[in-house]
Amino acid sequence: MSGIVRRFGSLIGMAAIVLFFAVSLPDTFLTARNWLNISQQISMLTVVAATMTVVMVMGDFDLSVGAMASLAGVIAAALFVAGWPVPVALASAVAVGLLGGIFNGVLVSVVGILPFVATLATLTVFSGLAFVVSDGRTVFGRDIPEGFAALARGGLPLGSADGRPLVLPNLTLIAAAVVAAVWVVLEQTSYGRRLAAIGGNAEAARLAGLPVTWLRLSAFAFTGAGAAVAGLMYASRVASANPTQGDGLMLTAIAAVFLGMTLTRGGQPRVLATLAGVVVLGVLDNGLTQMRVDSYVREVLVGAIILLAVGASALGRRSWRRQG
Amino acid sequence: MRRLSLDGLSRRFGAVQALDAVSFGVEAGTVHALMGENGAGKSTLIRILSGLDRPGAGTVAVDGAPLPPGDPAAVQSAGIRVLHQELHVVPALSVAENMHLALPVPRRLGLVDWRRLNAAAAAALERLGLSRIAPAAPMGDLGPGDQMLVRIAATLIRPEGAAAPWLYVLDEPTAALTGAEAERLFAVLDELTGAGAGVLYVSHRMDEVMRLASRVTVLRDGAHVSTRPMADTSDARIIEEMTGRALSDLFPPRAGAAPGPVALSCAGLSAGPLRDAALEVRAGEILGLAGLAGSGRGALLRALMGALPRQAGTVRVGGRALGPGTAAAWAAGLAYVPRERRSEGLMMRRPVAENVALPHLTALARGRVFLDHARQRRLAESQGRDVALKAASVAQAVGDLSGGNQQKTLFARALAGAPRVLLLDEPTRGVDVGAKFDLYRLIRRLAGGGTAVILASSDLPEVLGLADRICVLRAGRLAQTVENDGLSEADLLTLCYGRDAA
Repeated sequence: MSGIVRRFGSLIGMAAIVLFFAVSLPDTFLTARNWLNISQQISMLTVVAATMTVVMVMGDFDLSVGAMASLAGVIAAALFVAGWPVPVALASAVAVGLLGGIFNGVLVSVVGILPFVATLATLTVFSGLAFVVSDGRTVFGRDIPEGFAALARGGLPLGSADGRPLVLPNLTLIAAAVVAAVWVVLEQTSYGRRLAAIGGNAEAARLAGLPVTWLRLSAFAFTGAGAAVAGLMYASRVASANPTQGDGLMLTAIAAVFLGMTLTRGGQPRVLATLAGVVVLGVLDNGLTQMRVDSYVREVLVGAIILLAVGASALGRRSWRRQG
Repeated sequence: MRRLSLDGLSRRFGAVQALDAVSFGVEAGTVHALMGENGAGKSTLIRILSGLDRPGAGTVAVDGAPLPPGDPAAVQSAGIRVLHQELHVVPALSVAENMHLALPVPRRLGLVDWRRLNAAAAAALERLGLSRIAPAAPMGDLGPGDQMLVRIAATLIRPEGAAAPWLYVLDEPTAALTGAEAERLFAVLDELTGAGAGVLYVSHRMDEVMRLASRVTVLRDGAHVSTRPMADTSDARIIEEMTGRALSDLFPPRAGAAPGPVALSCAGLSAGPLRDAALEVRAGEILGLAGLAGSGRGALLRALMGALPRQAGTVRVGGRALGPGTAAAWAAGLAYVPRERRSEGLMMRRPVAENVALPHLTALARGRVFLDHARQRRLAESQGRDVALKAASVAQAVGDLSGGNQQKTLFARALAGAPRVLLLDEPTRGVDVGAKFDLYRLIRRLAGGGTAVILASSDLPEVLGLADRICVLRAGRLAQTVENDGLSEADLLTLCYGRDAA
């Protein structure tokens, strides 16, 4: 019994949260429309957290993702204003994310700066650049091409309910594609298993002939590119770009990975577990908002629930070790 | 004479009877060895003795007075000090602070009295002849051997009113020590027993036990097999009692076949402490590397493997020059079992299968990209069988295995690519006798099958028992290469110290 609680404690907790909202919000919570809505609300976080998982399997992390999301958004907007075609502007913004990630990777793996310090510094750099590029202003209205804003509004029609069409949002599809891609890379390729080996024992990996420097460097490129994609999704959804709009993503993404780690055997980061963590955070946000819980109180509750899940998992692991 | 008596100690974990009515006594003033294979119950016994675990039945008594079970403080105040295998030190704090971790820190006006703190530490170090260690030096600057000695010295610091320790329990104290460090430890043990203290000494290493102990207790499968004065037993008898089978010889006989073509050679090799090394090893040959600690045995293997950057010289494998880096070495058919399996070898929390497959991931991938999990599992299973690995399944975390099976996992990894040259650094360190025997047979069999083996070891009987030829290193130089023909341990040790063999 205690074994079941330990192994599936977080899942049981998640089910309890869903049940609580289902009872409290009987008419609105457990509807297809609401869940499609949640899937869109969490799509940006999903992309950031999934790509964050790529560096976290190595035991590293990236604090600069939020700033990079903001930067990518304002770069795309600046290119729109300069009259660049939408696809070219978007590709350029993602390329900036890729370069920023590679820069982080060089600092961490070639120069040898601790990830905390290196990415804290690049967080400041990217954030500053976002202000420089946007001149500190929000780009919106006619400066944002209709085609770009329509991306977030569109989706795959799924039929209708209550006389209104049900749509699987494009942003959800993008997030799903990113999760699938990260899952394939991390779980199904030898490249991904090498990253996991670095997380397991970096020195053993080096002695076993793995190019540890290159692997660490390359993994950060995923995280940078993922952050940029999420920043663009956000800009599309709000049809505007400002130099701080992605900043909140970083802490939440790391929290989602940690929440996910409470679900896996051995407490290791895995992308599907991360997705579960993101869903929990998204469901909490959605349900508490619908219950009109004050947004500040909401933050306290979300933080407390993260502590509860991670703390319970740590305690469970400790008692397991004592028995072993 | 003070005496510790263990009487009928039993402890059960689920279906496993870890200890089964074990009784014996330890007296002050002597070294009493406790031996047994992994899983024999040594660790359980130490945990109960130190009050970290409660026995299911039985008592621990000092001078006839039973100690309350599961009470570490009572064990302390009965004058028993247990030094566990893992080094519990804080590298960033000073030696003196580390020595006071479990003690009240001397204070003046509520602030740390640094002068008294350092003086107490210096006095304790002095008593063990360790005045070369500065109390104010950071603990992290000391080698593992000196850290162990500092921990022993710390037990000599007595807060007011506390009893002097009279019994030391040392759990595998030399597991992480070099030969020279172990020698210093033995000198300290002599000091302690000379001053009337007793030592309960847990070790795998037969030579240490033969040399230090006056009595030896053997456990097997949780049961007490024997407690004898050293004069009434022998290493062969102890091994027999530990394993439950007669080991007429720990080392399988040499095949005697002529070695094949040169598999690996190096010339002018300099790297780290190593200067201008030249050697060659042939297919089917076992080349031993002997030398004192710091002589460059391990560095030579690391340099061949590309783990230590080569400053000068060339390495040739099968006649072709080897490029830099570990990846090139594995690709050229070298395989390496590193010295420290925890820090350099294994991913402790990962399954056996992933640990075995680590250097072979590209070969296991479909189209060199997509990992074939089924093939990875099959590889680990077949390699595991080959090295007689005992694990519930290859999905088991390697950290849950015994030391011997962890080492076999490293062998399975090294052999999975059918290497041309196998580099082994201390291949049986911290491994019980049964697993040692398995590994020796395996090394022999590989050489018989045409693999060239280079074996670096501080265990001289191991080098003498396995090697065809022995390279002796001194201070980073390859001083001498001798045929392993009629050499005694004393001869080899003399060579290591740099005098001609008598």
